[in-house]
Amino acid sequence: MSAGGRARANAARRLSVLVGALSVPAFVGLWELVARSRIVNAVLFPPPSTVAVAVLDWIHSGQFFGDLSASLFRVTAGFAIGATAGIVLGVLTGEFRLVSSLLSPLFHILRPIPPIAFVPIVILWFGLSETGKLFLVVWGVFFTVWLATHIGVHKVDRGLIRAALMLGTPRRQMLSEIVLLGALPYIVVGLRTAVSISFYTLVAAELAGAFAGIVYRIEIAQQNMQTGQVMGGLAALGLLSFVADRSFAAIAERAVWWR
Amino acid sequence: MMHNPLRPTSPLRLVDAPPAPSSATPQPIIRVEDLSIVFDAQRGQIIAVDRVSLDVMSGEFVSLVGPSGCGKSTLLNAMAGLERPFEGQVMVAGGPMLGRRPDVGMVFQQPHLFPWKSVRRNVAHGPRALGKSKTEALRIADDLIEMIGLTRFASAYPHTLSGGMQQRVAIARALANQPRVLLMDEPFGALDAQTRAVMQDNLLELRDRINATIVFVTHDIDEAILLSDRVLIMSAGPGRILRDLCVNLPRPRSSAILTDPAYLALKRDCLDLIRTEGRKAFEQMETAT
Ligand SMILES: Nc1ncnc2c1ncn2[C@@H]1O[C@H](COP(=O)(O)OP(=O)(O)OP(=O)(O)O)[C@@H](O)[C@H]1O
Ligand SMILES: [Mg+2]
Repeated sequence: MSAGGRARANAARRLSVLVGALSVPAFVGLWELVARSRIVNAVLFPPPSTVAVAVLDWIHSGQFFGDLSASLFRVTAGFAIGATAGIVLGVLTGEFRLVSSLLSPLFHILRPIPPIAFVPIVILWFGLSETGKLFLVVWGVFFTVWLATHIGVHKVDRGLIRAALMLGTPRRQMLSEIVLLGALPYIVVGLRTAVSISFYTLVAAELAGAFAGIVYRIEIAQQNMQTGQVMGGLAALGLLSFVADRSFAAIAERAVWWR
Repeated sequence: MMHNPLRPTSPLRLVDAPPAPSSATPQPIIRVEDLSIVFDAQRGQIIAVDRVSLDVMSGEFVSLVGPSGCGKSTLLNAMAGLERPFEGQVMVAGGPMLGRRPDVGMVFQQPHLFPWKSVRRNVAHGPRALGKSKTEALRIADDLIEMIGLTRFASAYPHTLSGGMQQRVAIARALANQPRVLLMDEPFGALDAQTRAVMQDNLLELRDRINATIVFVTHDIDEAILLSDRVLIMSAGPGRILRDLCVNLPRPRSSAILTDPAYLALKRDCLDLIRTEGRKAFEQMETAT
């Protein structure tokens, strides 16, 4: 590449970094301008400054942390239970043909039903209790992690299994070490998908009726026409799920530690 | 068993192995009796091993040579208990090859090291699996790693090693359980000629230190003659043992013998046998399709 070409490529890269850094502030600024210019209805499209005030009020009122911890609990507990069950059953169906014949057809029928569709029946079963909300998140997470683990177990290098067999590896260690770690790269991908699924199902669970939670707060604010609070809630949810995805990506990178 | 220094170092000769004398000789440690192995394929059944019988004496180094697809790996896997006999049986050290048999070690064509374990932990895997304490297992591992000359890489992960180094680790890992029988399936097949020669010399040296019977699959006749006491030449599918040749070459051996004219003449005989078989196999495949 010529010197001129390289300089041009450098300039282009610097420009794109600059544009990237300005993207969000520019959008927020434009929104503020449009909302204040009264081109749009400011009650329905409150300017970002109003949203910020609503968020501060939310935090000062003390409700924010209650809502945050309620939502966080549902997501993390649901994720932990669903992921654990998914991994355990994935290893079992992946490794034992009989277990697979028993469960896989059932799972394959249930898996494609969007978890949100279960909201009505969950309300009938569990009412507005926490159990019902956990159930929805667990349900959503489970199938994704189960399928990823099941496939991962099938993709485990047969050579590793044979090598482990020849070294006298006991059956239990075979499952808990060779099969599980062999499938880990696939499981991690499934877990990462399940992180965003756990947030989808959280929304469904809280919309179905709750007493605290970020999505619950959004719904209440909507009923009171507090659009600033609604958007503040959306921003908080977006930030939360963004942080969850990024931290999981960082963990995932280290989970497959040998690469 | 070590090389017997009293064995006559006769001029280079490949002769048919004499029937095993009845007394004062080592007992067969591997006994393959009328073994057949059949695979179900799309186009019906494939007889990979066809009524093979053979004995391997304790301490012997035996090579299996034959054209590609003749069933060498299948026969070796059956000796490892990884392939179920369709007919006949495999006895190792007096017992059937069923369940866990850590007294039989295996080195595959690919190293198949556990990628999530360091070199040390890979080698220590077998002793740990057999219930040895962690310290004991790691001590065994460290000794073996020193023997294969990879002490500097003990804490490295397999993917950071070259193919030859990985295969050395695989050999050390198989030796960690002190197997009485070591099965090796083209362990140097994926290596370049130079590394391969070094590994062969290593194996010869190693063999004098460990007390194991070795069955070695290769399609390299040089390798087979250089390493073995006996070379079994297999015929093309269905897999049978065509010839059982005794290699009367003095030990210790090194790659130097590979240029000996007498050796070369004998190698030619061997190659002719294999070539005829290979052609037969090829023609069979042609007529089959
Ligand atoms: N799992 C299997 N399923 C079906 N057929 C198989 C299977 N494994 C081996 N075979 C068939 O059995 C025959 C012997 O295979 P094997 O791998 O033992 O040959 P080989 O002598 O080791 O060949 P190579 O030198 O190429 O490794 C071949 O015809 C092969 O197609
Ligand atoms: Mg083979």
